[in-house]
Amino acid sequence: MLLELKNIFKWVNSGGQRIFLLKDINLSIEEGEFISVMGPSGSGKSTLLNVIGMLDTFDEGEYHFLDESVHTLKEKYRSNLYKEYIGFVFQSYHLLDDLTVYENLEMPLLYKKYKGAERKAMVADMLDRFNIVGKKDLFPAQLSGGQQQLVGVARALIGKPKLILADEPTGNLNSQQSEEIMGLFKKLNEEDKVTIIQVTHSEKNAAYGSRIINLLDGRRI
Amino acid sequence: MYKLFLKIATRYLLKNRLYSFINIFGLAVGTACFILIMLYVNNEKSYDTFPGSENIYRAYMDYLEGDKWVAGDANSYIVTGETLKENFPEIRNYARLRYFTNLVLIKENEVFENNKGSLADPSFLALFDLKLKQGNAKGALNEPYSIVLTESLAKKLFGKEEPMGKTIKLFNANSPAFTITGVLKENNRKTHIPNDFLVSFSTFRAWDAFEGDWEYTWNQNVYYTYLSLAPGTNTVQLQQKIKDLKIEALPYERHNIEPLEDIHLYSNKPYEAQANGSVQRVRFLFAIGLIIIILSWLNYINLSTAKSLERAKETGIRKIAGAQKPQIIMQSLLESLVLNGIAVAIAFGIVLLILPAFSVFINQDLTFGIANLYQALPLFGFILLGAIVSGIYPAFVLSNYTPAKTLKGKVQTSPMGLTVRKGLIIGQFFATIILIVGTLIVNKQIRFLKEQPIGADLQQVVALHWQVLDVAPDADSTLVSGIKTFKDKLQNLPFVTKMATANTFPGGRYEDLGSSAGIIFPNGTLDEKRITYNYAVSPEFFELMDFEFAAGEPFKANSRGSSNEIVMNEKFIRFMGISDMEAAIGKTVKFWEQEWTISGVLKDYHHFGLKTGIEPIFIRYSPSADNILIKLNERAVTSGGLAAAMTQIETTWKELFPQSTFNYTFLDENFEAQYKEDKAFGTAFQIFTALSILIASLGLFGLTSYTVVRRKKEIGVRKVNGATVIQILSLLNKDFVKWVSFAFTIAVPVSWYVMNQWLEGFAYKTNLSWWVFLVSGLSALLIALITVSWQSFKAAIVNPVQTLRDE
Repeated sequence: MLLELKNIFKWVNSGGQRIFLLKDINLSIEEGEFISVMGPSGSGKSTLLNVIGMLDTFDEGEYHFLDESVHTLKEKYRSNLYKEYIGFVFQSYHLLDDLTVYENLEMPLLYKKYKGAERKAMVADMLDRFNIVGKKDLFPAQLSGGQQQLVGVARALIGKPKLILADEPTGNLNSQQSEEIMGLFKKLNEEDKVTIIQVTHSEKNAAYGSRIINLLDGRRI
Repeated sequence: MYKLFLKIATRYLLKNRLYSFINIFGLAVGTACFILIMLYVNNEKSYDTFPGSENIYRAYMDYLEGDKWVAGDANSYIVTGETLKENFPEIRNYARLRYFTNLVLIKENEVFENNKGSLADPSFLALFDLKLKQGNAKGALNEPYSIVLTESLAKKLFGKEEPMGKTIKLFNANSPAFTITGVLKENNRKTHIPNDFLVSFSTFRAWDAFEGDWEYTWNQNVYYTYLSLAPGTNTVQLQQKIKDLKIEALPYERHNIEPLEDIHLYSNKPYEAQANGSVQRVRFLFAIGLIIIILSWLNYINLSTAKSLERAKETGIRKIAGAQKPQIIMQSLLESLVLNGIAVAIAFGIVLLILPAFSVFINQDLTFGIANLYQALPLFGFILLGAIVSGIYPAFVLSNYTPAKTLKGKVQTSPMGLTVRKGLIIGQFFATIILIVGTLIVNKQIRFLKEQPIGADLQQVVALHWQVLDVAPDADSTLVSGIKTFKDKLQNLPFVTKMATANTFPGGRYEDLGSSAGIIFPNGTLDEKRITYNYAVSPEFFELMDFEFAAGEPFKANSRGSSNEIVMNEKFIRFMGISDMEAAIGKTVKFWEQEWTISGVLKDYHHFGLKTGIEPIFIRYSPSADNILIKLNERAVTSGGLAAAMTQIETTWKELFPQSTFNYTFLDENFEAQYKEDKAFGTAFQIFTALSILIASLGLFGLTSYTVVRRKKEIGVRKVNGATVIQILSLLNKDFVKWVSFAFTIAVPVSWYVMNQWLEGFAYKTNLSWWVFLVSGLSALLIALITVSWQSFKAAIVNPVQTLRDE
C-alpha cells in the first residue's frame, strides 16, 4: 500500500461556524493505481490533493504514507518525504519564468543533492524521453501551453517519484494537447508503474484512470 | 546550486530593469553619501592624532567673569609650563610655542610670504612625535637662531639644493641669519596648529626684536603651552588640581587643560591658532550620513518585500520541488548581496568621481583608496552588515510563503508585515521632514547673518598691508616719509575717495586686536577682571567705515602728533556702569598707567562677526598703523574693474618700496569669509537633504507598487461597482497622507529641538518660525502624494476586466 487516509477532517472557522473542507475522508491507494478525483467546484478536490501532497495540513485523522505516519511528522521531515516520493503537475504549469527549460528541469535536482554530472545525465535523459531536446534553451514564455505542460510533467518525473499529483493538468489546454498529456500519463502509469492521482472535471480524462473518487462538499460519495 | 542562484538573480535584475535601477540607484547614492560624509567625519576626527597624542594636553586660561569661570584664552604664559610641571609630577614635560602667521622668509634676494611658524621649545619635537628627515632631533632647536623647516617648505625654498646649514632671514632683511638645523619628515598630519617652520625658543632671549618680552612672566599670555602627561594619569583629578592652583599674580585667572586631540573639534576660544572645526557640524553631518544610508536600506527592504509578492509563486514552486526554508533564505540573501554589491561598486565609483570636487568644497584634502584602507575597513563592515540585515527581512517574508496558497495566487499579507512597512515609511518621512526643516533653518540663518546690519559699511573698502624688507630699524623716518608719499599718490588716484590707517578692521583677525584687563573707570572703580579689546586707527577711519556715533566725535591728534583721546563702543560705556552715552564724553579712564579721555561713543558694531557677541572695545589714535584702508568709488568698479585699480595701486607702492611685499584684503569679502564653513555646511545640508528625499520617494514608490498589487482585485471590484478614478485614487492615497501626517507630528518637536541646538552656536540667530515647519510638512506631503499617485493612477485606470479575469 502506498498511502492511506483515515477519518481525515479539515475545517476553517468562519463567523463562529466551522466550515468543513474535508469531512471524514477514508482512502487507501495501492502502488500503480491511476486515480481520478472528481466533483463540482468547491467540493474539496484540490484540498484533498494538497493534503495528500503534504502541502496542506489537516485537523483530524491519520495519514500514512509508505511506512510513515504523516500526521505526526514535523514539517521538515514531511518536506523530505514529498521531495523524495511525490511529483506535482499543475493546471497553470508553474514553471519558473526566469529559467530555461533545461534549468527548470534541473531545479528540483539541486535540492536533492545530486552531483553535477548526474544532474546533467538525468536532465538529458528527460529531454530525450519527452522529445524536447531542441527546446532546452527556451524560456517558458516561448513555448505553447502543451509544451509547457510537457516540461511540467517532465519536471515532476525527474526525481523519479512514486506518486504524481496532477491538479487539472489539462485545464488550460486544447483537446489535442489534452489527449497527448493524458496519453503520456497513461503510458507512465502502465510502463513505469508510477502511481497517479489527478483532479479533473472531464469524464473523458477520468476514463484514462483505473478508479474514480467522487467528492461533494468535502465528503466522498 | 549557488551558480544557479546567481544566474537567477542576474536574470531577475535584468528583467525587472526599473525595479533594479531604483533599488541599485537608491543604495548607491545612499552609500556614496555615507562614505563621503564618513570620510569627512574621519578627517575631522583625525586632527592631532599620533602615537602618544592621548597623553598630550594643552594648557589654557580661564577668566573669571562675574562669579563664573569661562574659557578665556587659548594662549597661556611663558612660565605656565614650568610652573605646572613643578607643581604636578604627573606632568612629565612641556613645550611652548609662540606662533606667527603671515610671516615673510627671505632667502638671499627671494621673498617667501604667508608662512606659519613658531618659536618652539626643543621638547616640542618629542611631544608632537615629529621626526626629522635631516638633522639631529636632539639638538636642532637648542641654539639661538636655529630653524627647522618642513619638507615642503624646504623644497619650496631650496628645490634640489641641500638646505642643511644654509641661512635664511625672518620678518625682514635686517634680521639675523637663521641657520637651518633640520628638516621635518612629512607626516601629512592634520593639526590645529600648522607650522611651516620651527625656530629655537632660545632665539627669543637672544634676539632684540622681542625686546623685553622675555621678562614678562605673568603679564603677557601669547604662548601655547603643551603638556606631556605620564600615561595613566587621572586627568580629571589633575585638571581639578590645576584649576585649583592659585597664581598670585593672576587673581582673576586660572589654568585649565584640554586634550590635544579635542582641540580641533571642541575648542573655540579667543586666540586659537586657526579657526577650528566644529563638533556640532561633524555630529550633524554624521547623523545625516547615517540617516541617508539607513533610508536607502529601508528602501531596499520595502522594495524587495513588495517585489517578493511577485516571487511568491517562484518560492512555492521551489518549495514543492524540495527547497527548504534555509535554501530559500540563502537564495534571497545572495540576491540581496549581489544587488548591494553592484550598488556599493557604483557608490565607490561615485565617491572617486566626486571626491576631488567634494574636497575643494569642504576645503580639506580627503583621500579614498588603498592608502587609508584601515579607515575604510569599518566602513566596509558596516555596509556589508547593512546589506545582510536589509536582506534578511525580505528573505524571511519570502521563505514563509506556503506553496499551497501562493500557487493559487493567494498571498497572505500578515498584519505584522503591514505594520513593519508602515513603520518604515513613517520612519523615512520622519527623517525627511527633519532634514527639510534643517535645510530651511540653516539657509534662513545664513541669510539672516548676511542681511544683519553690522554697523559699518565694508563695501569697496580695501585694506592694504605690506612689509618693507630693506629698511634698517633705525631708518624709521624713511619709512614714514615713504608711506606719506604713497598716501599722497593714492589720494590723487581718481577711484580713491577716502583713506585711513588702522591696525585692524571689522572682521579682522583676533591676533591683530590688542586685549587687556585692568582699567580704572571714570568713577574711580578699578576693574581687573574683564578682558577688553582695542586697536588703533587714524581719525579718518570712522568716516571711512561709516560708523555711527552715539555721542561725541572721533579723537583728534595734538600738536605733537599723538593723542590721549579714545573712542569706545556702547558696550564698553555700559560695562563701566554709565547708561547715558552723552554723559561719558569728556570723562577720563585710566589704564596702561596713563589717563585717557573719551572723545566719542560708537554705536555697537559687529567687530567679530555675528557668531560671537559684542565685546567692549576701545579705539585709540595712531597715525601710522599697519594697514592703509581705502574706500573705492563706483569708478573703480566700472572703469577697468577692481583688479585693474588694485594693480595700479600696487605699481605705485612698488615704485616707492621695491624691496617689499604688498597684499590687500577686501573688507566685505573678508567679513563674509567667516561664514564660509557655515555656507558650505548649508549647501552640504541641502544636497544631502535632496538626496534623502529622492531615496525616500523611491521607497514610497516601491511601497505603492506593493499596495497596488495587493489591492488590484479590490480596485477592480470597486470599479465594476461604479467607483471613479478619483475615488480610487483617494482610497489608495489616504493611508499615505495619514502616515506622513503622523511622521510630521513626531518630527516637529524633534527638529525644533535639534535646530535650536544648532542655532545656539550663533550669538545672533534667526527665529524658528512656524512656517518653516508648515512648509516642511506640506512639501513632504506633496512629495509623497506625487510619488504615490503615479502608481495609484496607473492602477486606478486599469480596466477591471483584466484584474478580475485571473480568478
